[in-house]
Amino acid sequence: MDRRQFVKATAISGASASLAACGNPEEQLVRFISDEPLPPGLAVTRRSVCPLCPAGCGVEVRVMEGDVEVVRDGVRGIVKKGLAKKLEGLPGHPVNRGRLCARGQAAIQVTYHPDRVRQPLRRTGDRGSGAFAPVSWDEALAELAARLEALLQDGDPRGLRFLTRPLRSRRGVVISEFLERFGAPAPVVVDLFGDAVLRQANLESFGFHQLPTLDIAQSRYVVSFGADILGTWNSPVAQSVGYGELRQGRPGIRGKFVQVEFRMSQTGANSDQWVAARPGTEGFLALGMARAILASGRRSPSDGGRAGELIEGWSDGLQAYAAEAVEQVTGVPAATVEQLGREFADNGPAIAVIAGVPLAQTNGLFNALAVNALNALAGSVGVPGGVRFTPVLEGLRGLDAAGETIETLARSILETPAGGAPPVDVLLVHDANPVFGAPPAWGVGEALARVGFIASFGSFQDETSAMADLILPDHSFLEALVDHVPEAGTARAAASAARPAMRPLHDTRDMADVMLDVGRRLALDLPTEWETYEDVARERFEALPPPEGFDSAWIAAQANGVWIGPEAPVPEPASFPDVRPRAYAAPEFDGGADAYPFHFLPYVSQAFLDGSLAHLPWLQELPDVVTTAMWSSWVELNPRTAAELGVEAGDLVEVRSAHGALQAPALIFPGIAPDAVAMPMGQGHENFTRYATGRGANPVRVLAPTVEPETGGWAWAATRVTIARLEGAGDLVRFGGALREHPDLER
Amino acid sequence: MPRWGMAVDLDRCTGCEACVTACHAENNIPTVGPEEAARGRAMHWIRVERYWEGEFPDVRLTFRPVFCQQCDNAPCEPVCPTYASYHTDEGLNAQVYNRCIGTRYCANACSYNVRFFNFHNPEWDRPLDLQLNPDVSVREVGVMEKCTFCIQRINAARIDARAETEEGRIEDGTLQPACAQSCTANALVFGDLDDADSRVSRLSRSPRGSKLLEELGAEPSVTYLQKGDWDESGGG
Amino acid sequence: MNLAADKRITDELLKPLQGSSRRYRLTVAALMLVVSAGVAAWAVQMYSGIGLTGLNSPVFWGFYLVNFVFWIGISHAGTLISAILRIVDAGWRRPVTRCAEAITAFALLIGGVLPLIHLGRPWLFYHLIPFPDGRGLWPNFRSPLMWDFFAINTYLLASTLFLFLPMIPDFALVRDRASGIRRTIYGWLAMGWQGTPRQWNRLESAMHIMAIAIIPIAVSVHTIVSFDFAMAVVPMWHSTIFGPYFVVGAIFSGIAALIIAMALLRRLLRLEAYLQPLHFDKLGKLLLTMSLLWAYFVFAERLTVWYGNEITEMPVFWATFTGEYAPAFWIMVAGNFVLPAVLLSTKRTRTVAGCVVASVGVVVGMWLERFLIVIPSLSYRQLPYTWGSYAPGWTEIVVMVASFAAMALLYCVFVKFVPIISIWELKSGNDMDDAPHIVEAEARDAAAGPVPARGEAS
Repeated sequence: MDRRQFVKATAISGASASLAACGNPEEQLVRFISDEPLPPGLAVTRRSVCPLCPAGCGVEVRVMEGDVEVVRDGVRGIVKKGLAKKLEGLPGHPVNRGRLCARGQAAIQVTYHPDRVRQPLRRTGDRGSGAFAPVSWDEALAELAARLEALLQDGDPRGLRFLTRPLRSRRGVVISEFLERFGAPAPVVVDLFGDAVLRQANLESFGFHQLPTLDIAQSRYVVSFGADILGTWNSPVAQSVGYGELRQGRPGIRGKFVQVEFRMSQTGANSDQWVAARPGTEGFLALGMARAILASGRRSPSDGGRAGELIEGWSDGLQAYAAEAVEQVTGVPAATVEQLGREFADNGPAIAVIAGVPLAQTNGLFNALAVNALNALAGSVGVPGGVRFTPVLEGLRGLDAAGETIETLARSILETPAGGAPPVDVLLVHDANPVFGAPPAWGVGEALARVGFIASFGSFQDETSAMADLILPDHSFLEALVDHVPEAGTARAAASAARPAMRPLHDTRDMADVMLDVGRRLALDLPTEWETYEDVARERFEALPPPEGFDSAWIAAQANGVWIGPEAPVPEPASFPDVRPRAYAAPEFDGGADAYPFHFLPYVSQAFLDGSLAHLPWLQELPDVVTTAMWSSWVELNPRTAAELGVEAGDLVEVRSAHGALQAPALIFPGIAPDAVAMPMGQGHENFTRYATGRGANPVRVLAPTVEPETGGWAWAATRVTIARLEGAGDLVRFGGALREHPDLER
Repeated sequence: MPRWGMAVDLDRCTGCEACVTACHAENNIPTVGPEEAARGRAMHWIRVERYWEGEFPDVRLTFRPVFCQQCDNAPCEPVCPTYASYHTDEGLNAQVYNRCIGTRYCANACSYNVRFFNFHNPEWDRPLDLQLNPDVSVREVGVMEKCTFCIQRINAARIDARAETEEGRIEDGTLQPACAQSCTANALVFGDLDDADSRVSRLSRSPRGSKLLEELGAEPSVTYLQKGDWDESGGG
Repeated sequence: MNLAADKRITDELLKPLQGSSRRYRLTVAALMLVVSAGVAAWAVQMYSGIGLTGLNSPVFWGFYLVNFVFWIGISHAGTLISAILRIVDAGWRRPVTRCAEAITAFALLIGGVLPLIHLGRPWLFYHLIPFPDGRGLWPNFRSPLMWDFFAINTYLLASTLFLFLPMIPDFALVRDRASGIRRTIYGWLAMGWQGTPRQWNRLESAMHIMAIAIIPIAVSVHTIVSFDFAMAVVPMWHSTIFGPYFVVGAIFSGIAALIIAMALLRRLLRLEAYLQPLHFDKLGKLLLTMSLLWAYFVFAERLTVWYGNEITEMPVFWATFTGEYAPAFWIMVAGNFVLPAVLLSTKRTRTVAGCVVASVGVVVGMWLERFLIVIPSLSYRQLPYTWGSYAPGWTEIVVMVASFAAMALLYCVFVKFVPIISIWELKSGNDMDDAPHIVEAEARDAAAGPVPARGEAS
């Protein structure tokens, strides 16, 4: 019946379309011959990699034939095209094992988004005004090449910068090689809510500059310090698959899951035990657990190995971290500290993991080192059911933050005296939106305004690409050849590769191909065999050992969607950086507790991550699972706090820090400490498609530019704020009704 | 004749809502936009309910995915004056969009509140419409819609099974609705309840199992497996 | 025979049929404007979608069905009251019956349209009609909405007949005094009435049959309307008390509507001589009785719910008792119980004005009762996650106002074409006494059987 109805609907709409067209001959649509014959009505399956977060889940794309309106040689018409209809997790992919998260499911809307940039654009209005006019690719590339040529002529190749988000594909190699041949500095990787602190800690503790792979499935005990392992952090699908197994995957064994945080996250809701520790004291708690283990004689300090040695007082049994002291510092009852320590030691393999708020502190690195030491003490590192590190494939490694950051770049531009030439003349931007995401004090927007020429490869106008002089729209991931090497989420080495799942919908070009094209125009000394990006990707894959039944890893990767490395022993770290043991330092917050009584805890949103996905309507209308809010921003308040402030759900409140203020509706949230308020990231875009523009507030606007001193990572959870009730109600749209299943009935 | 059912393991469910988006993508469910959503008209054939217990810091939050329970004794079916909601041979509470005149009685009768109404004609800003699944009809204004257990997939699997084997039996595990397929923690298990060996049958017999609002006697085809308790002996 | 008195009755009661004042025409025009606004609102709603209402998930039923139940309730004014009074042969009924029966017919017409406006796809309403089609598809007779469909249509048919039958002799009376097109039209309507004994006999027995038949129909109609709710497992809907509760409420609101209509007619058509304080006194007592009965039902319903303390019902109970719907609830109690009980208990306040004030309170209260039945239960269903609320959209308000305007309009038009007081019945009562306005005296002894009038109409 469904099918019949569909056919009928199609026939009716087709009939009415042609009837309508009869009136205006100039609107009659021509039917072009399809260049992609597909069996009508049947689905074919192709592969891809989800681009929305660095996890790199393998994707199966269901492609069916459909009619697309196009313009060819100035004639409007219809052509049959293979169209992606649905994304599924790729079965057999070692990261996501056939599963796909809500964001991954919505990734398909990137391709079909009504506000995609459909052809190259040149700025016509003021910077940031969003006024652009279409240009041809030839013109656009010529203009870009001319700007770069001028830099070379002037002998100022260092006046070129490339901003990109972290890349886990060979596109990173194209960018790096281009810049190197050009003579420009290495790309500036924008990873504002990233894990630089944790990578550094892992390097110091274990010798791997890498995020950990959590073998939750085989574990019996998992303690997460602020890490949103089931929601947004690291490789959430891989971790969720493991979590399902931890709970009900083994007959007779059900692992325990403990979450330590100050505001209950989606992940925390799933815990067996939820522990509220003050922000920035999580490392202290971890060491309290370690001390309990050491004091009970279950382990000895030497079990901690190098990771333990990095903690001051380790060999003496961590005398400073007695349970009573932990209670004092963290607010966690002493008995709980002892209980957690004992259980952690007795229920191996056990995993301790830290991310999020505890690392976004002035003492973030120490917190991470403390958790690493706890893992090492329990013997959890590199073992099944513990914390592991995915083998690194040299040459397929991605592009991670290193060297210059967006903060230092912006500062160097802004420090140029007025009238002087800023150090950056040409800026290329790929898939990064620091104008939206960076704290206002860094002045990224002001800095960009002073750059001579900006070209963006963005598929959408956002706060950053709106400042560009030229937009050179990239393919969507479904239209491009994709490759990806996961940093974590799999115990074995893996590399995904897939040909385009469908032909480009619009007049777009692959960013890597554009870079290669510009490189040729500038006669840069790029490898001659790099004609297209496919050559770049294939080159490295072909160097991998081919799996059984295949001649080449490149073919195998495309056939299966992923190349999986051989079972290999845990790699030994090459070398450790030379660092000294560290002692706990209390976290420092921006804003005094008197003037700013509340911790401000922004968090990466379940739907939008850092805000880069706020343009997808499915995700806008996805009820946040904890608050059930849709299409909104909100400030989470403890019911007691709300009562003290006289605030009710939906009332507009002002959040003010020493760095700015924002307004958003209040949301009553039983799972947050009375002296903290939380807010999801992602909304508050000023210019990001019809679905996100002007919606809600951006918590980044009030964040202090505090950094973790040792790594330079942004301490985005170290701001304190004050809350005031404003007149009126905010735009808070919620899907769910009552907070409790058995509400207090007699009012 | 199979009898389709689902098991929801609440001990596995993480509340990630992959199922919610997957369902939108598979079943051409429109997004209604912020204004309509504020009026309580958002459509999610599957939703993850959340309930708070206790006060900070002894606070708990539990998730429960709720979708059409495909009741054997469905309250939505007899109340429909036009037979738009009816019972299929395979135990599904089907909705014939063409018969539906929009009395919305079925939605009132359904205690699970899993029926959704098209208050306006659905709209997709072009070219978002190119994503629409051609195997699923788009519903017009005034029509009630609901979870179908992805009946288009069931039908396709049946056709495939008949082409492949003589008895045309759909093997357990070969067929999944979109929600179960995407479920990151493998909390949703779909299958034939009349096949005693199917995974869903085995899970439905679990001592952890119960039905939602079982006391109403609607005889749902969905079994919820409650959260386990941790004890140090390792059991669960 | 008191020919002078008869002539006076005839002249006075036929007067409204002869021409109309400017004020009348303006009123009718204004009412038509409001009704057209309602029709326009419906048209806009059909074009744009039922989303123009305030309906949502979980409150899928709103003002349209509140007003539907309200008007079906009002419809019980007439027919039921007049049928009972006819059967017991209460003499004081004579000036009241037609006025009451007209309310029934019009309220049913209005109430019957509202469910169509409520439909998501009203253009497909014919799916409700059992007609043979090639696919062998029938409506679902298990659905209470189908029962409704048949019950309301049956009731509409029966009450129209019941209204029409006693109008025949009066139509003949008008026919005989008219000329031209009026004569032709009233001739058709009089259906060849000559006032022969044979015709009188037929009319009497037909009316007797209808009077008896209409009572179970009326009771069943509102019972079935209550089943729309009671059959669904919705908190505080799923109740065995709903059938009689709705019937009592319907008669209650019907009497109130009748009192208001009579008071207006009395004033506007100068019928003080016919619709006397005595009638109001009688109806006031009836209203008081129904008020007490209604209060008893509400008490029984709410006490059992509260005492039963079922987890799914208590949210609805408290929402209406102390929560967001409490103002509506307590206004309802005041209007339906406190006001009538105070005003109608003593002879001193059971005046025309007192009865009208009480009746207005009852109409408002009964409307709120319908609202309180439909909305809070849907707002607080079994799963608290799905709880919601409701406020009407503009189309719902316009259509509601238009429904009241439609009632007034139909009545205005009706009184211009049909004598609103049954002339022949009044005259038949006149046989008993010489007094010109026999009704008052007769009513003192309502049990006394009248002598049927014969051959008086021509």
